[in-house]
Amino acid sequence: MLERFHVPEEDEIRVSSEKLRKTAEQIFVKCGMSLANSKIATDVLLSADIRGVDTHGVSNMLRNYVLYLSEGSAKANPNWKIVRETESCATIDCDEGLGLVVAPQAMDIAIEKAKKTGVGLVSMGNGRHLGMAGYHAMMALEHDMIGTCMTSSTTNVVPTYAAKAGLGTNPIAVAAPALNKAPFVFDAATSAIATNKVRVAQRLGVPLAAGWITDAKGNPIMEETPLDIKEDPDKVNNLLQTPVGATRELGSHKGYSLGMVVDILGSILNGSLAGPLRTMKQHQNHFVAAYSIEAFTSVQKFKEMMDEYLQALEDLPPVEGQERVLYAGLMEYETEAERKNIGIPLHPEVINWFKNICSELGLDFDMTENGGNN
Amino acid sequence: MLERFHVPDQEIILIPEENLRNVTEQIFQSQGMPEKDCKLATDALISSDLRGVETHGVSNMVRAYLGAFKSKNINPKPNWKVVKETPSCITIDSDAGLGIVVAPQAMEIAAEKAKKTGVGLVTLGNGRHIGMLAYHAMIALKYDMIGTCMAACSPRMVPTFSSKKAIGTNPIAYAAPADKLPPFVFDAAMTSVAGNKIVLASRLGVPLEPGWIADDNGNPIMEKVNMKDLDQYEDESKNLEERYASGYISSSVDLLPFGGTREMGSHKSYSMAMVVDVLAGILNGSKTAPTGEHTGQGHFLAAYSVDAFIDTKEFKELMDRYLQSLLDLPSNSEGKEVVYAGYIEAREQGKRKKEGIPLHPEVVEWYKKTSIELKIDQLI
Repeated sequence: MLERFHVPEEDEIRVSSEKLRKTAEQIFVKCGMSLANSKIATDVLLSADIRGVDTHGVSNMLRNYVLYLSEGSAKANPNWKIVRETESCATIDCDEGLGLVVAPQAMDIAIEKAKKTGVGLVSMGNGRHLGMAGYHAMMALEHDMIGTCMTSSTTNVVPTYAAKAGLGTNPIAVAAPALNKAPFVFDAATSAIATNKVRVAQRLGVPLAAGWITDAKGNPIMEETPLDIKEDPDKVNNLLQTPVGATRELGSHKGYSLGMVVDILGSILNGSLAGPLRTMKQHQNHFVAAYSIEAFTSVQKFKEMMDEYLQALEDLPPVEGQERVLYAGLMEYETEAERKNIGIPLHPEVINWFKNICSELGLDFDMTENGGNN
Repeated sequence: MLERFHVPDQEIILIPEENLRNVTEQIFQSQGMPEKDCKLATDALISSDLRGVETHGVSNMVRAYLGAFKSKNINPKPNWKVVKETPSCITIDSDAGLGIVVAPQAMEIAAEKAKKTGVGLVTLGNGRHIGMLAYHAMIALKYDMIGTCMAACSPRMVPTFSSKKAIGTNPIAYAAPADKLPPFVFDAAMTSVAGNKIVLASRLGVPLEPGWIADDNGNPIMEKVNMKDLDQYEDESKNLEERYASGYISSSVDLLPFGGTREMGSHKSYSMAMVVDVLAGILNGSKTAPTGEHTGQGHFLAAYSVDAFIDTKEFKELMDRYLQSLLDLPSNSEGKEVVYAGYIEAREQGKRKKEGIPLHPEVVEWYKKTSIELKIDQLI
């Protein structure tokens, strides 16, 4: 994430991941989830916070999930099922369950299939938000597989040359294992930025960079745009976003097309409406895949070559003004080590939300600043 | 493609598809390729020209391939073989054969596997140029499947924050069938422009846009530039013949990941290019571009059977509704029609099949000279 999206150090309150985990689990249970489901959902959320992907952790997302579960737009204990299946493929009806709960189980199915045929693909319809897509892709890693996860999401991205939103931010995640180095974990919206980043920017009061959003007529705004911190959050959610690339000349048609790939695999392939045809904001559909490395090459050789590849990229001399060249997943890996040790930095506004929700649900509030030591 | 990359109307020479096919096949035959392979290779190239993707058609590619045959970089009679296989996956050694010959055959294997298990994946090592990726992805369409094709290429892309190039343009293609509307066919380099577009821009003398290339310290050039004004690069249109003769395939200019800068999302396209290196390179044991030991190209192909997931008819009807809803979106202030990938190309194909393929006079001249040299048929 860009520096501007992190909680400023002087504002942050560090809370241990275990404390945060316990509280989040209890909140999910209070919202009607079974203990098993709440554990799955919390692990997805927490891993975003631990990896420094604050946009998709407890700060932004937990309150949304509480809202969806309480208003009934997502089911706490869905009766999801496989509706079509072959040796390597499955189609799942999520029964309006949060992807947070259903996607990890779908990924388990993909992994099982990949053990037998070399690959497993699962397309999931009738779903809800699945948190950080990278989490589900990363499930493949411990099985020495390459994992993918895509989400066909709420329509607020303006296709190249259009005046209106036509597709979702439609993120794509791909994870591939290495031997001694941090695994490659790519996870990004096919829009210039994720909608959650707009929320974070609003909380932090930082401007949006050139090329991230469009004006009301769909024209990419190619200069910095300040966000009013007091602005109605609903209005922020309705901002029109650009595909990655921002303008046609910079490649927005590529971001737009990758977004379409996600709609096709994540929605149309399971019979869901996508893009401009979508009707319900909370409705999100998914696609997960696992590729067994063993099916193609020796796992040991693959991992050694990954290390060599990733190291070669890290070793590139940086441009002036930058410390180093990164690859996707490296910074998150480093942050994970740090946050497991010294806790997760939360914004005071988030701590306050926890305080209120705990009191509302009759839970003990225990989030004083004490890092990861207790 | 952007308008600027097309041959200007007043210079166009229209060549009937059949003439171009015939002469191009004969050129491949002159290099010792088996007749069946010549037909495969020619079909891939002509499909690009028919679809208006001139960058990957005969104009740029045939002479580049000739140079590469001469320098023994391409094996005209590859003995490609399967080196590992499971019910849904396969690893192939391309034996330095042209991707436009090996990949279509590998895609047929992927489709066969997908008929049985729902999906077929193929990673191919030790390959050579694969032409327009969409061609291979589109093979899946005739089986009511979704097709993918990726190519891990030699270093051209400057990764985000790097001061030198390290990764290929690493294009990705996807094709998905529709019912009555043209299929969705996406095919794009993970750089702002394909290397071939730089050659084309040099030949046509048009400027490069902000965010396309890096300066000699790796910094994104965020203003319009003409290739001839950049000291760091030679004018590649000047000594094309010499470069082609040495087996040169595309521009050597340092390209930016699409988006151009980190703030505009260049880290996303850089990462997508890495995905291609992993699937089309490391997964078949090929050395990747950043290691400095990369040769040729690695490829990755996939076919997903629509029927494995959903009723094919329902899928295609939903695709039509989806694609139409995008076409129906109103235009922004630029006033250009909203399209989807593959839409313009399908329209162009219909037109060019009827009217012929527009070539630049320089290309026609090259064909004329080459036909005399090789003692084969003339284009016109």
